[in-house]
Amino acid sequence: MGVVLRNLQKVVPLRRARLRRDVDTLRHILGIQKFDLGIICVDNRRIQQINNLYRKKNAPTDVLSFPFYEDLRPGKLPCPLHRDELNLGDIFLGVEFVMNQCQKESLDLHGTLTAVTAHGICHLLGYRHETEEEWAEMLQRERYILSEYNRLTGRHLEPLMKAFSPET
Amino acid sequence: MLKSVVRAVGAAVRLSSAASSAARALPLSCPTLRSPGSATIRPFTRSLWMLKNNGASSGYRPKLLSSKVLNPSVSCGCGGLHTEGDKAFGEFLSDEIKEEKKIQKNKSLPKMSGGWELEMNGTEAKLTKQLSGEKITVTFNVNNSIPPNFEDEVEQGQQQKSPEDEPEIVSTPNFVIEVTKQGGKHSLVFDCHFPEDEMSHGEGEEESDIFAIREVSFQPEGDSDWKETSYTLNTDSLDWALYDHMMDFLADRGVDNTFADELTELSTAIEHKEYIKFLEDLQSFVNCK
Repeated sequence: MGVVLRNLQKVVPLRRARLRRDVDTLRHILGIQKFDLGIICVDNRRIQQINNLYRKKNAPTDVLSFPFYEDLRPGKLPCPLHRDELNLGDIFLGVEFVMNQCQKESLDLHGTLTAVTAHGICHLLGYRHETEEEWAEMLQRERYILSEYNRLTGRHLEPLMKAFSPET
Repeated sequence: MLKSVVRAVGAAVRLSSAASSAARALPLSCPTLRSPGSATIRPFTRSLWMLKNNGASSGYRPKLLSSKVLNPSVSCGCGGLHTEGDKAFGEFLSDEIKEEKKIQKNKSLPKMSGGWELEMNGTEAKLTKQLSGEKITVTFNVNNSIPPNFEDEVEQGQQQKSPEDEPEIVSTPNFVIEVTKQGGKHSLVFDCHFPEDEMSHGEGEEESDIFAIREVSFQPEGDSDWKETSYTLNTDSLDWALYDHMMDFLADRGVDNTFADELTELSTAIEHKEYIKFLEDLQSFVNCK
């Protein structure tokens, strides 16, 4: 199957082919090409709904991940027995939220979406940032992924994670 | 060509509904239809009638099974058939038309953003725009554009909910996009639709694209017939990267999620308008006006 990409919103003019290409690059870096992945682009209203439903946080956010495998050791790839299990899960991208952030900080939208997706994929692979230790581990992983991405593409993306905060 | 395309797109639905209508239309109690070889029986029966009933002078006036026929001189003087059922039908239509006009959102059709010009030909709508030498047309037909699941939900809703809680009827027609470059002999044609699981009907959210491309092909530019021998790409088994490029191509020409949402609003308004007009024509026909 590969990457199932869906665009459910009409606020942000999304470049689907560019997003898919970037996600495929991230998958190649992480060695997860054989796994299916869902990327669903939504607006603030929808991401806020999901954030409220699943995290009891009634506010829009940039990304929400729903892993297929819930208890993975960070960075350890699953070993599925059946083809049906070759699935990492779904990532909801709050593209409107990200666009607003990019406008405030004069950042490139699609580059930022790629960095946000890298963060989301890390969550699908078991990374968390609820403790300072987990945060440091996840930041290190994101830095590696994006440095490889930058090397392959000539771009200059930075990790989403800036400073540890137990609230995020 | 576009007419053929739109008809072809809608034909499958029409054929299936026509088949079921025909099934519903045949009265089950009609003996001539049950008996084998009825076609050979009917003419014989008709000739017996002619022998027995020598026109009006026989004094025998054939009646319909059990309907009461209003005296033509009381009904409208046309000499045509006016039954009690017709009268009740006409009154029902009068009420129905009043109700439909009450809930009609806009008498005038909603405008599409993005510089599209609208042409109507009965139930067929054509949106056109020019963009840097390219001509883009989007054609759709409001016939059979309300998903059948949705109609069932409305009926169920009427049994359980109050009128205010009934889900809104939304028209989601298949639509055909034609992109023609300046001086081009061929147009790039996209057959698109609104995936059925897309319509949330107000209950929960779905996770499919708002609209999807089903088929793509090159066709001769203009109104010439659909070329069956042109290769038609079906997106069911298409490489997803290619699909995304095509969606980006359409988005660059103004056919994006915003357009798709506005198209359903326009189509819903057209469908409702045509429905009301049909009811009015039906009322005139029944009332013989």
